Amino acid sequence: MILTWRALALAGVLTVAVLVAPTAATVLVAAVVVVGACAVDVALAASPRDVVLAREVLPAAVRLGGTARSVLTLRNGSPRTLHGVVRDAWVPSAGADDNRHPLALPAGEAVRAATRLVPTRRGDRQAGAVTVRALGPLRLAGRQASLPVRGRLRVLPEFASRKHLPSRLARLRELDGRATVQVRGEGTEFDSLREYVIGDDVRSIDWRATARRGDVVVRTWRPERDRRVVVVLDTSRTSAARVGDQPRLDAGIEAALLLAALASHAGDRVDVLAYDRTVRARVRGASGTRLLPALAEALATVEPELVEADWAGLVGQVRALVSQRALVVLVTTLDPAAVETGLLPVVGPLAARHQVLVASVADPELDALRTARDSSADVYDAAAAERVGLERAAVAGILRQRGPEVVEAGPDELAPRVADTYLALKAAGRL
Amino acid sequence: MTLTDPAAATTAPHHPGGSGPVRGDGTTTRTRARRRWRAVRWVVGLVLLGAFVTLLLALLRPPSSDTRYAPDAAGPDGGRAVAQVLGRHGVHVTYTRSAEKAASLARAGTTLAVLPGDSYGDDLSDADLDLLAGTHADLALIGPSDASLASLAPELTWGWGGGYVTTSTAQCADPDARAAGSVTSTGGGFLPSGSATAGTVTTCFPPDGAEAGTGSYAVVDGARRVAVLDDAAILTNAHLAEAGNAALVLRMLGRHTELVWLVPEADRAADATDDTGTFSLLPDGAGAVAVWLLVVAVVAVVWRGRRLGPLVAEDLPVVVRASEATRGRGRLYRAGGSRGHAAAGLRASTAARLAARLGVPAGATPDSLVDAVARATGRPTADVHGLLYGPPPPDDAALLTLARRLDDLESEVRP
Repeated sequence: MILTWRALALAGVLTVAVLVAPTAATVLVAAVVVVGACAVDVALAASPRDVVLAREVLPAAVRLGGTARSVLTLRNGSPRTLHGVVRDAWVPSAGADDNRHPLALPAGEAVRAATRLVPTRRGDRQAGAVTVRALGPLRLAGRQASLPVRGRLRVLPEFASRKHLPSRLARLRELDGRATVQVRGEGTEFDSLREYVIGDDVRSIDWRATARRGDVVVRTWRPERDRRVVVVLDTSRTSAARVGDQPRLDAGIEAALLLAALASHAGDRVDVLAYDRTVRARVRGASGTRLLPALAEALATVEPELVEADWAGLVGQVRALVSQRALVVLVTTLDPAAVETGLLPVVGPLAARHQVLVASVADPELDALRTARDSSADVYDAAAAERVGLERAAVAGILRQRGPEVVEAGPDELAPRVADTYLALKAAGRL
Repeated sequence: MTLTDPAAATTAPHHPGGSGPVRGDGTTTRTRARRRWRAVRWVVGLVLLGAFVTLLLALLRPPSSDTRYAPDAAGPDGGRAVAQVLGRHGVHVTYTRSAEKAASLARAGTTLAVLPGDSYGDDLSDADLDLLAGTHADLALIGPSDASLASLAPELTWGWGGGYVTTSTAQCADPDARAAGSVTSTGGGFLPSGSATAGTVTTCFPPDGAEAGTGSYAVVDGARRVAVLDDAAILTNAHLAEAGNAALVLRMLGRHTELVWLVPEADRAADATDDTGTFSLLPDGAGAVAVWLLVVAVVAVVWRGRRLGPLVAEDLPVVVRASEATRGRGRLYRAGGSRGHAAAGLRASTAARLAARLGVPAGATPDSLVDAVARATGRPTADVHGLLYGPPPPDDAALLTLARRLDDLESEVRP
């Protein structure tokens, strides 16, 4: 049972009667009037449990930052007209701000109520119960029921780093034979012969073909294709800490998406693995236009787990995934203690088989701490930040000695930096 | 019971994020009532159990009050022991705190015991005393006030003895006193007053050192028998068993099978006049208006109290910032006053950056770095050496200065 402001207004109006004749009898009569009117209203209200409800989410998956709609279909199955309000409840991060809809639904009729969803978090956003409040004919009181109706909105990673993709694709084309500037060296393969144009490197002239054709002909080169790229997202405890306004893992997902998009354009085969002690997500064998949707879908629900990473198991997973030489990108963080006990012992053997790239999400807040000089407390914090920076640099140095490339950058710069490193490795033919 | 509309189910397209038609939540009025009962039954049970236990304790516990000399008071200064012994011997004790009631009960052939009230002054108003004086019951005045003595036993006046506990023996012919033998008393004793008719007043138990004829216990035989005892402590639970107290008191009070036990209520008269206190200033009907406003408040509470459906809980992500560990380390440095560690950290990272910028290899000696920095900045070698490899700063101000000077040095080398 619920009351509305009208019930309070009725009680307020009856206060005048009580003031005029302040006796126990007046109070009793007024109370009977209020209670009786409310009881009659409740008895005459339509039953909210007779409403047939269905919920649709359009679209069912949306990229973070996009909008979706939750559409409720209500059919009044009771013999009375339903006056009232319906609330389409979602978790706060689904961003259903305007989720209350007034209802005036004659018996047997149906209506749709759409709620705009602006999700603020990646992952599966769950809907709550649908609350139907039906008021009586006097609108003094009514009945209310919260009915469980399933609903889910899958929020895909934002892929904000896709803005870096065009420039990296242009760089990729520069590496490719289609560009006038030729890159020749290790890791490139012979592409074709074409006529010399002014500006071409004279060293690339193919004299035998020139002699045959009677025209100056140059060789063109293109980077190797069909290499394997394995992106491993570390979802262990170190990925849970917040950097900026999101967990470290989300920055890693951005880097993985950009690298996958770039590598698939470059003709390489991309596999993605999210791992801590078990496999949390795996995408393999997808290529072309199917790769990014598959990745977004698989990584949408990956959440940091508060466990220590099992790096030895991870190496086993990589070995099971690829047998030939591949670029293995480990998206993690250079936490000195965690790296020393987990990653360092296994990275040497891994780097011997594969080209390893360790991508670490750095914390821009440390830079702010490092440069603060306002008080002596700031200087102690700055000293601590410098120490941490030195330790991370030392760990990165030790890692580099064992073979891997190490990229450390803030959450926004990590994706383009990883892409650049990939392009540099590709140009150098080290894949 | 979940009802699914078959027509809607077949026509509705499949939406991965949504749900097909749902009707109701599978509950009926009966199941909801049962669920609510299950949710609250323990609370209700506990409340009922608590109420039952309280009631049981209240019923099982013999009634006891804190009033001095009351027949239901079990404390050291109560009179329950006397009352119980009297009751066991067939005396019906009627306890009252109202003089009017006592006067109405005190018929001929009953005993009216008047005990001191809560106040040490005049417990009974003149009107009350007149009422009591007009009864035909035998009187037992125990620890009377001056006004009571003057009104109810004018044949007696206070003597000048006592003040400390004395045990005195009966030295009179009164059978009650002789049966008791001796009593303890701190009272002053009584003397026959000038208005006493000779032979009607018997005084017993003379206190030590008192004037001849003084007695802690006195009996006036007249139209009715008036027995007076100077110290009410004699009948209390604490002192009843001493000497012959019990015998004297029981014989005093147990002369008739009906005993009216009056402990005057000191504040009764005051209460009667205080009845029109603060609330008397309010107009008539204020109570009704207050009750109605309470009803209005309840309506408002119910209106605002029921929200439109429950909150939906969010599975929250970790909110710990990655820099927390570093900040904690900084706080540890500060708490421990580790200026040496802090300065070493600042110097090491500055040196590392300068070395990278000037192309000094990582394994180079401090002197070669100092030389390179001195050349690049034009500063004296000793100055640069002191900055980069000097002693730890003695206090926080020096640490702050060092940090700023290291910043300056670094900015000068900036290419």
